[in-house]
Amino acid sequence: MAQVTFLEAIRQALFEEMERDPAVVCLGEDIGVYGGAFKVTAGLLERFGWERVIDTPISETAIVGAAVGMSYLGLRPVAEMQFMDFIACCFNQITNFAAKSYYRWGAPVPIVIRGPSGGGVHGGPFHSQNPEMYFVHTPGLKVVYPATPYDAKGLLKSAIRDNNPVLFFEHKFLYRRIKEEIPAGDYTVPLGKAVVRRQGRDLTIVTYAAMVHTCLEAAEQLAQEGIEMELIDLRTLLPLDRETILQSVRKTNKLLVVHEDTKTGGIAGEIAALVCENAFEELDGPILRVTALDTPVPYSPPLEERFLPNVNDVVRTARELARY
Amino acid sequence: MKISLTREQHLELYYYMRLNRSLEERLVTLFRQNKVVGGLYSSLGQEATSVGTAYALEKRDWMAPMIRNVGALLVKGYRPRDIFLQYMARYDSPTHGKDGTSHFGDLKERHVISPISMLGDLIPVMTGVAMAGRYLGQKIVAMTWIGDGGTSTGAFHEGMNFAATQRAPFVCVVENNQWAYSTPVRRQVPIRNLADRARAYGITSYIVDGNDVVAVYRVAKEAVERCRAGEGPILIEAKTMRMKGHAQHDPAEYVPREMFEYWQARDPIARYEKFLTRQGLWTEQDKQQILDRIEREIAEDLAFAESSPFPPPELAEQGVYCEETYEVKPEWQRPIEEVMPPKASVQAVWQVEDFGGIAEGAVQVIEAATVAARDGTGRREVPRTPPRKKKKLSARSKGR
Amino acid sequence: MPVDVIMPQMGESIFEGTITKWLKKPGQRVERDEPLFEISTDKVDAEIPAPASGILKEIKVHEGETVPIKTVVALIDPEGATTPATEPAQAEEKPAETPAPSEALPEPTPVAPGPTAAPQPVSGEDGRRIRSSPLVRRLAREHNIDLTTIRGTGAGGRISKRDILAVIEARATAPEPSVAAGQAEAAPAPLRLETAVPRERIYFGRYEVQPLSVMRQRIAEHMVLSKRTSPHVYSIDEVDMTRVVEVRNQAKAEFERRFETKLTFMPFFVRACVEGLRAFPTLNASLDGNNLVLHREINIGIAVALDWGLIVPVVKHAEEKNFLGLQRAINDLAERARTKKLKPEEVQESTFSITNPGVFGGLMGLPIINQPNAAILGVGAIQKRPVVIHDAIAIRSMVYLTLSYDHRIVDGAIAHQFIGKVKSILENWQENIL
Repeated sequence: MAQVTFLEAIRQALFEEMERDPAVVCLGEDIGVYGGAFKVTAGLLERFGWERVIDTPISETAIVGAAVGMSYLGLRPVAEMQFMDFIACCFNQITNFAAKSYYRWGAPVPIVIRGPSGGGVHGGPFHSQNPEMYFVHTPGLKVVYPATPYDAKGLLKSAIRDNNPVLFFEHKFLYRRIKEEIPAGDYTVPLGKAVVRRQGRDLTIVTYAAMVHTCLEAAEQLAQEGIEMELIDLRTLLPLDRETILQSVRKTNKLLVVHEDTKTGGIAGEIAALVCENAFEELDGPILRVTALDTPVPYSPPLEERFLPNVNDVVRTARELARY
Repeated sequence: MKISLTREQHLELYYYMRLNRSLEERLVTLFRQNKVVGGLYSSLGQEATSVGTAYALEKRDWMAPMIRNVGALLVKGYRPRDIFLQYMARYDSPTHGKDGTSHFGDLKERHVISPISMLGDLIPVMTGVAMAGRYLGQKIVAMTWIGDGGTSTGAFHEGMNFAATQRAPFVCVVENNQWAYSTPVRRQVPIRNLADRARAYGITSYIVDGNDVVAVYRVAKEAVERCRAGEGPILIEAKTMRMKGHAQHDPAEYVPREMFEYWQARDPIARYEKFLTRQGLWTEQDKQQILDRIEREIAEDLAFAESSPFPPPELAEQGVYCEETYEVKPEWQRPIEEVMPPKASVQAVWQVEDFGGIAEGAVQVIEAATVAARDGTGRREVPRTPPRKKKKLSARSKGR
Repeated sequence: MPVDVIMPQMGESIFEGTITKWLKKPGQRVERDEPLFEISTDKVDAEIPAPASGILKEIKVHEGETVPIKTVVALIDPEGATTPATEPAQAEEKPAETPAPSEALPEPTPVAPGPTAAPQPVSGEDGRRIRSSPLVRRLAREHNIDLTTIRGTGAGGRISKRDILAVIEARATAPEPSVAAGQAEAAPAPLRLETAVPRERIYFGRYEVQPLSVMRQRIAEHMVLSKRTSPHVYSIDEVDMTRVVEVRNQAKAEFERRFETKLTFMPFFVRACVEGLRAFPTLNASLDGNNLVLHREINIGIAVALDWGLIVPVVKHAEEKNFLGLQRAINDLAERARTKKLKPEEVQESTFSITNPGVFGGLMGLPIINQPNAAILGVGAIQKRPVVIHDAIAIRSMVYLTLSYDHRIVDGAIAHQFIGKVKSILENWQENIL
């Protein structure tokens, strides 16, 4: 087993799936000769040729639309958004064409739309966003947001093999910062299944993506104070793994949800409602949230640091909740 | 390209146009009986465009209809019952009541892709269909339709441009029916011919009298075969007229009466009937046989549709996701090895032919070829002579 | 108001059903969705869940009786939760099994959560608001603890989970009440099947008479009807399964690890049949008078042997499923057939069937057509046999395939071409099953 970065794990998944199945093709802006803005697709064109690695015009709607059309003939296209912020440009293709196709007329759309998202790299308002919740609100889509190299590779493979449109968010802060030993060769991680990253008895933290690492750090600090957090990494936001969340809440009776997305309309609200509907009488304290501010993502480092949730925010809120 | 039609094909074109119209006439009755759920859209006056273009496709080809392309659906093998059932929202409809109107399709046999209500989005989707067909070695052509208003969308532009850069085998039929809901075409675009847009994409285009089914068919057939031969996407502008409002609720009082009269005199079915008689392609008896057949088929299909139940309520909860056990299987018509390494492997370097330069100090002026709106109705823009194919373009270069 | 328990309509074409077993006795408590009785209709055995919680007040239709759908077969008293059962009802007919009234005592039920669920202590004796949590209030209710008697140690004196758990632990726990449930045997209504000889010639010597189960009766009727309706013809061929056996052996461990389902031979046969049926659609058809109904979907019925009979659940839309999909469907249907969990629609609308006498070691079988299909494929045992290949004798894994078909619809020429297609697919298996 070799140490690979988050980015390399994603590249491996694309590479292996294209070798495994000639129906898998990639398209997007600057993904071929240049290898992608973050070099996630580096080497794909050399290996698989012009027909399977397609450099497109700057046309997000055309990229996703063409992917949908290709999928109707049985291909499994993987479309790249150079930054996930730009997914707004093809909102209609995703939410109205792709998401509703199977429900309306029984035509599955096995496509993946993937790309870098998230902040912490001082990218400013249009290169740092977490637009996942627009799509979690759209029945028919699947939304995946991994936190580790192992999951990124296994989940991307599952996403490519899935018969539904899957949005695959890659937190760019993790691309080259997170390394992990992962098995060589083929393995998959199922969509729609959360994972308990840390066992604990005092409270449950539900989170995903880069915040998993923030929360793990917070958990270490709190453990020194004798507070044991249970940490759930959602991995897939839609469909949501309700059972794993509820099981953990039934065990610890307290819930904190942490995400890098902004607060209003973030998934924390949905999870809070889920727990109130299904496990209200298991709660021994209020459900709390630690999230980004309800503002655009600001550019200057001190502003962005203020905007993003950090380890101290998690520790402080978790401590309050544990003592409640 | 020599394109001719047999007598049987001529009669078949008539059958489809007439079926299209009779079917929609019956739908109006059903609408008034409150048996149609939701809105009802008419393609009255546009039958020749729908039928003539779709008739140029082969069984293996793919198409995506828009709301006024009932004729195309019939040509591709759907029956009146499918249209009735869709509008009546019954369980036996192609979508089991989950969607209505022409919003249905069939990936397996008829190769029809369902539209969505947002205009323009089919253009990139059909580009993808065309690209996938070429990738799989299938030698197919993809076709869709769009109205004059729909060409104003960003999706139309992105899709046409992508299709053009990919040289995708894709035919886009622009049905210029003069009206986008209540807005005349001149308020959508400041140019005389929508086909002019094709020039900006560097693709071939045609303009055709959309109310002449034979002319439409000939143009479409030529375009389809040129696409199939690898000439890249083609745009066809069919000039026609929407003879009803946007939908049943709309009396279209914003349309000048004279404009309706103008186009009424050019009704595609009446014209084609005269043509068939003049050419001696049918007898009164042939005509009657076709009309009887249509009447019988519509009656039978309507009876079937009316006896179909509404969907069970629990169906609403089903089918949001496609299960992993559904088989998605491309049909390869070329050796897979060609797209797999090492055969597929290439050197990743761009070739830029002329480095994008211009002669030193050169300046070019390209004058606008627009047609300004004169009275806001487009009334004086109605062509009296066959549309000009060439447009004015003055270009001047210095230093060459 | 008592809630009616009705005989459900188990499919559009079904008009009546037989109650084979009551799982509860009058007077017993039943929870909503808990299995209440078992029924038998046509070929389905199904457990029917209770429509509401309460006390089973009265059984109106007894075991073995057949009634039309929508008939009220029992009553449930939803208020039974708070009042002891008052009517031992009709149970007198089976005196030995009449439940003692004490058995009918309801268990305490948790009250549904909600704002009106239970009055909460809002303030202590001194008028001070008691601060707790939803969890603490629930535990207090369940353990009959008065929250005003507990001192809270949480933030601001709140009673926390820890506080109430300490109180509960300090208390002795009461023994759990248990409910004994008697089981009654099914006594299906007798149904008259034809006998080929005068009845008195059947009974001689020493014998034992066993009534047929409802399912057995249905099978008997169906078989007689099928043989009478369709002139059966049989075609037999032999298939070299060596390649399929290899493919399966190689993939088995990985397949079962990855997909968590057993890899059997059946999906190979189903897959091959789907291709065969696509090529020869008249075998995927039903005859209706003078009309041949060609089915557009390929729904494969698969005979599953049960300890108590035989059932043919249907893999719907086999033409749309990939290999994994077929295997999943087959395993799932077989498992639920054995646990009586099939839904009625899952044993209907087959367009072709497969039976597998080979699993019991049968060399081959000549099956009877599963109506309204046109044909059924019998799969014999896969055995190694010496075979002549290019004038040499080789050891190959062989199987006999038999096709029984309705000669009204299909002739030998088509049938043999169909088997030929199936054979060719199996012998030259191409598809990657992982």
